[in-house]
Amino acid sequence: MSTATIQDPSRTRRVRGGSAARGPVGAAPLERSRRRMFWAFTAPAVVVYAVLFLLPVGYAAWTSLYKWDGISEKKWKGLGNYRILWQDPIFRHSLGNTLKTLLVGGVITFVIAFALMLVLREMNRRLFARSVLFFPCLVNAMVFGIAAGVLFSPDGPVNQVLKWLGWSHPPQWLATEHLQTMILGTLVWTATGYYTAILMAAVDQIPEYLYEAAELDGANAYQRFRHVTLPMCWEVISVCAVLWTVSSVKVFELILMYGGSSGAQPPSDSWNTALYVYEEAFPQASTPQLGLATAAALVSLFLVVIFTVVLRRLLRRDPIEY
Amino acid sequence: MGSTTGRGPRLLAIATAAVLAVGVSACSSGKSDQGAAAPAGGSGGEAAKSGGSFSYWSMWRKDEPQAKVIQAAIDQFTADTGIKVDVEWTGRDVAKKIGPAMAANKAPDMWDQGADSIYGTAAQNGNAQDLSAVLGMTIPNDNVKVSDAIPSKYWDSLPKDPKGGQHWVIPYEASTAGVFYNAADPDVSAAMTSAPTDWDGFIKVCDALKAKNKPCVASEGEDSWTNGLWFDYLVNANGVNFADLADDKTGASWDNPAVLKAAQQTEQLVKGGYIIPTYTATKYPAQQTNWAGGKAGFLMNGNWVTAEVAKQIPATWKYGFLLPPGASQPDSMVFGFALTKNAKNVAQAEKFMAYFLQKKTLSGISTDAGNITPRTDIPAPAELTDVQKTLGADKLRLTFDGVAGDWSTKVWNQNFLDFWHGKTDAAGFVAKMKSSQVSFWKTQS
Repeated sequence: MSTATIQDPSRTRRVRGGSAARGPVGAAPLERSRRRMFWAFTAPAVVVYAVLFLLPVGYAAWTSLYKWDGISEKKWKGLGNYRILWQDPIFRHSLGNTLKTLLVGGVITFVIAFALMLVLREMNRRLFARSVLFFPCLVNAMVFGIAAGVLFSPDGPVNQVLKWLGWSHPPQWLATEHLQTMILGTLVWTATGYYTAILMAAVDQIPEYLYEAAELDGANAYQRFRHVTLPMCWEVISVCAVLWTVSSVKVFELILMYGGSSGAQPPSDSWNTALYVYEEAFPQASTPQLGLATAAALVSLFLVVIFTVVLRRLLRRDPIEY
Repeated sequence: MGSTTGRGPRLLAIATAAVLAVGVSACSSGKSDQGAAAPAGGSGGEAAKSGGSFSYWSMWRKDEPQAKVIQAAIDQFTADTGIKVDVEWTGRDVAKKIGPAMAANKAPDMWDQGADSIYGTAAQNGNAQDLSAVLGMTIPNDNVKVSDAIPSKYWDSLPKDPKGGQHWVIPYEASTAGVFYNAADPDVSAAMTSAPTDWDGFIKVCDALKAKNKPCVASEGEDSWTNGLWFDYLVNANGVNFADLADDKTGASWDNPAVLKAAQQTEQLVKGGYIIPTYTATKYPAQQTNWAGGKAGFLMNGNWVTAEVAKQIPATWKYGFLLPPGASQPDSMVFGFALTKNAKNVAQAEKFMAYFLQKKTLSGISTDAGNITPRTDIPAPAELTDVQKTLGADKLRLTFDGVAGDWSTKVWNQNFLDFWHGKTDAAGFVAKMKSSQVSFWKTQS
């Protein structure tokens, strides 16, 4: 993968072992004018970011310290909502589910995506194959929820095929104990194509001669993947990992669709933190608990931040230029 | 159908719920002309055209029969009184939207839902206005007072708002839940020559059906509400009030032997193999459809189920209805109109409430929508005649004795489904309910 070549900017200078210290003021006219223009160009983005993102987060943090149904007066609760979350077995379970999706789903998705990278690079009609792989992520989650009721019913097409293949007692896919697996399966299925598409875009940028050289050196397909593809795509993989972290924590509609088919809430064993937030904020026949909901949302946000920072650190490599 | 927490024809409701997940839509509240308030209790066609308007969010979607009945009434109401109604067919999620809308001061004047939803969302916090004035209004054309046309038991069974009032809803549809069956099904009539008088008698009926390889009970296994009704009725039959059971913060209420007995009776259905196979692995309405196709004997549900399966049952079908043996009081769910906390056009909306209760208007709920009205002089659809008779009881009790909302979501749903799916036994279920309930109440400070 190629990185844009910038005239020795301060960041790359540091990486290359140069001095991290800033050049003396007025060192170069270009540098000086750049610095002058920095805020002029950045300010609009910063303002938008602050108004649309930081302020709401701040407001949520403030709300999380109150008991509030959205209509009546707010009642000060201090850290009471966070204490409730800590005590609430359903929230702890939801948090566990979120982490399970993040880690287990992430590992499965990326293992499959890597395997596909290995295959797709060298196969014919790979653009067609990529389109097919990408397709599930275009389909609305609601469609899965509704289609699952037909496809996976005890006498549905899936079990018919399995029975035809000789499996006399195929699983009861839609039973509540399989809810988590079904949700995870659908998630992996839709996400794999998405991440494969991004990763393959990176793979396409790798010069062919590197593979040819590796082949001449006797590297087999796995070794070529391990020593050429992986290092050359590392930056993109690390971005994908962050994207996965963020999106997996927000999974929501799939759980609602699979678990709440009767219009009632999905059974609490299948909740993740996002659904917990939703159920507290928009309950069906009780008072919204906006303080608790925002507290749970902030815990989720905190989780994403921690994971993102840790992931970025773990996956940090020096960029390779070619 | 009538669905409070979303029972009934539900797929669209789910779809809407998922869309809602993105955020509460910027629900537009109808602009309310601050027109002169109409005199309360007009007398029908002769009422002066007082003008003005009010806004209304409905629990029905536009294509539902109830919506058509209400829309026709609105058209006539506007023609008669000059009061315009700005209606939005919101669907069941109105219960989720109304709270945020009230918070943002964008709520309509009037909305409707099941009484449990109205209470949980608004009335229990004093966010539904008192409608006692409507009870004193005269229903146009019928010349009868609202309080005389609608039996007071429908309000008496409701929980009280913070001011102690029970008149926070004006019911226009009444319903109950129970066990439905096809009396013309030869298997059922052979197994049940007369209605069983006790639970063992019902199990014997199930045994007889089982001997004929016919499942006794159809069940949407994923639904903790309809299936939970078995336990609700049985625990009441054993002398325990469901609300007392759920409200006990110590959880000690679950130690009552009568509760365990009700759980064991419910467990008989699960362990006895009387429930339609594959019930744990399908989605609504698969098993309801199976039942309508004669593949199982009995179905526990709200009485709206007859309207739901109307197009699926054969012409020979003859409805039978019973309460789980031992239960003496039918449960009651009413659907009706409520006013939001800051409703501005109160007089206009109240006038419509009384207007809609006219015999000729309200009859549409029975004739077109296939449901029961709270007016005793409007006959229920033929298939619900027996059900209407049970609603004629002097006293009614609320379904689950009024327990709904957060407790159901966090304590009941998962634990009951585990029990109903045979993953826990009766004793395990009771123990799990007790511990979950204790944890739940700790988080409700």
